[in-house]
Amino acid sequence: MISLCAGIALFSLFISAGNKPGPGPTYLQFKIPAGWPKPATDIFAKNRLSEEGFQLGKKLFYDGRLSKDGNFPCAGCHQQFGAFASYDHDFSHGYNNTFTTRNAPGLFNLAWMPAMHWDGGVNHIEVQPLSPITAPNEMAENLDSVLRKLRKDTTYLRLFKAAFGTPEINSQRMLKALAQFTGSIVSSNSKYDKVQRGEASFTPGELNGYNFFKANCASCHKEPLFTDYSFRNNGLAVSPFLNDYGRMKITGNKADSLKFKVPSLRNVALTFPYMHDGRLYSLGAVIDHYRSGIITTQPTLDPLLVNRVTISNKEKNDLIYFLNTLTDTTMTHDPRFSEKVTYFSH
Amino acid sequence: MKNRFLSIPLFLLTVFSLSGFQKARTSIGQPGLLKITFVNTVKGKPLQMDSTVYTNPFSETYSVRKFKYYISNVAVAFSDGIYKEIDSYHLIDESKPASLSFIFSAAPNRYHSFMFMIGVDSLKNVSGAQTGPLDPLNDMFWTWNSGYVMAKLEGNSPQSKVVNNKVEFHIGGFSGEYNVLKKLLLNFPAGISLDIREGKTSEIIIESDLDKWWQHPNDLKISDHPVCTTPGELAKKIADNYSNMFSIKQVINN
Repeated sequence: MISLCAGIALFSLFISAGNKPGPGPTYLQFKIPAGWPKPATDIFAKNRLSEEGFQLGKKLFYDGRLSKDGNFPCAGCHQQFGAFASYDHDFSHGYNNTFTTRNAPGLFNLAWMPAMHWDGGVNHIEVQPLSPITAPNEMAENLDSVLRKLRKDTTYLRLFKAAFGTPEINSQRMLKALAQFTGSIVSSNSKYDKVQRGEASFTPGELNGYNFFKANCASCHKEPLFTDYSFRNNGLAVSPFLNDYGRMKITGNKADSLKFKVPSLRNVALTFPYMHDGRLYSLGAVIDHYRSGIITTQPTLDPLLVNRVTISNKEKNDLIYFLNTLTDTTMTHDPRFSEKVTYFSH
Repeated sequence: MKNRFLSIPLFLLTVFSLSGFQKARTSIGQPGLLKITFVNTVKGKPLQMDSTVYTNPFSETYSVRKFKYYISNVAVAFSDGIYKEIDSYHLIDESKPASLSFIFSAAPNRYHSFMFMIGVDSLKNVSGAQTGPLDPLNDMFWTWNSGYVMAKLEGNSPQSKVVNNKVEFHIGGFSGEYNVLKKLLLNFPAGISLDIREGKTSEIIIESDLDKWWQHPNDLKISDHPVCTTPGELAKKIADNYSNMFSIKQVINN
C-alpha cells in the first residue's frame, strides 16, 4: 500500500510504505528526485529509514543537550532558514565564545555526498556528528556525557524504543537516527528545478546566466547536485590565522595541498559568506575572485583555473540572476525539517 | 584464572596432539568452544602498567599508562580450510582484564594455526556508526579523519622531550601506502595442534611483547619519535614493528 504521489508535490520526498500495522517502526522509502543520479552508496541500506528514526533524529538535531552547556544544538549552526548553514557567519560560534575554523556548510542532499567536511576527512554520514559534538570550539561535549543526559529523559527512552525496538540508548543508535534526519533533507524544488521540469521558465537574464554557467562553471559544479564532490584548489591565499591546507591534512599528500571540496551551489544565495573560511561575503565577490583574484602561482591550482575565468560585468550579473534560481524555499520552510515550536509552554 | 592454564605442562599437550589424525570436517554437529587469551608482556614478563619502568633496546626508559589494540577477523586453520569467528572484532585493553579473553563456538576439528588481523578491517572503517568493541565511546575512533586507532600505547619517558615527557602512539590508517592493517598467521609449535571437541572448550594463549614496538624491522627511538597520532609513514613503521609482538604461548585442548 505504497501511496504514490504523481508528479512533483511539495512534500512528496517521503513516501510512506505503511506496511507494518501495529507496533514497530513505520518504514519510509527515500525518494530520489526524477532525473537525479542514484547515490553512489545507499546511506539507508544499513540504517533503514523510518518515520520514528527520522523524528528521533530531528529531536536530537535540535537538542542543546548534545552540547556541553546546552547552548549548542546541531541546529544552532545549521539553520533551516539558511539552508542548514550558519546564516551570515563566516565562522560559527562554539562553546565558551569560540569560533570554528571553517565555514559551516549547508546540510542538504547529503545522501549523495561521499565524504563530509571541507577536506573530506569524515567518510560516512553516521560518524559526522562525532566531530562537532566533541570539538572544544563547537559543542565541547563527550559522547558518554551526551548519552547519560539522554538516558535520563523518559521521552528519549520512548523515542529510541519506537525507532529501534528497545529503549536502549547507545551511540550507534543516536548517530543512526541523526543520519536518518540529516540524510533525509533533500533540496530539489528551486526555480531551477521547476524550469527543468517544465513548470517554470527562466527570465532572459537567468537564462543567459545558466548558459554561461554551463559553459564555465558546471564541470566542477555539476548538475543536478551542483558539485562533483571533488577536491580542488581554487586559488585562494592561505589565511595566516588558519594555515589551513585542506585535504592535504587528511591524505598526507602534497598534491592535495590547498584543496577543498567543491561545494554544492544549491541554495547558494542563502549560504553566504563563501569559501571554506567564509572570506567572501557576496556572490559578486566570489565571481570577482574567479575572474581576477585567483592566485595562479600555486602549484596545486586546479588546471581549469590557471587562466582565471573571463567574465564580463553583464555575464557576472546574469550569473548572479541564475544562482538565485537555486534557492529552494520549499526545503527552507518545510515543516517536516523544522523544530517543533511550542508556544506558551511552561 | 589464565595462570591456571599456563601451569599445564607442555608434554600433556603433546599427548593430545598425537591422539591420531582426524580428517577435516566441515559439517558441524555440536560445536565446541574456543577461548582466545592475550597476555601482554614486556620481554616475557607480564606488563605492569604505570609503576614499572622498562628499558627499550636503545637504553631508553619508559612506563606504560595505556595499552590497547584491536584484534579482528579471527580464524583457525585446518588441513584444507579455515573456521572463522563471526562478527570478529575485539578490543584488547590491558586496563580491562575481561577484555583480554574472548570465546566463540567453533566447529569440532583439528587445527594447526591461528589467524587474525591486528586492527579493524578497512570495510568497518567506512561503514558508519558501530557498536560494541567498535563503539566510538571506546576512544579508538578518529573523528576528524575517520577511521579506527588500531593500536594505542601511551606512557612517559625521560627521553621524550614533548610536554610532560609523554609517549603517545595512536596507530591507524586503513588504506593506501601507509595502511597499518596486518594479517597474521601463527602456526602452532611443531607437534601441537588445537583440538576442538563437541561441548568442550579449548584455548589458545597468545603472548604479546610490548618490547617489540621499538625495533625490527625499524629502529624507533623514543628520543626521535615520542609521538605518533596520525596515519602516515611513522605509523606504518611502528605497525611493522608491533606486528612481530605476537606469539603462541600455549594451546590447551580439553
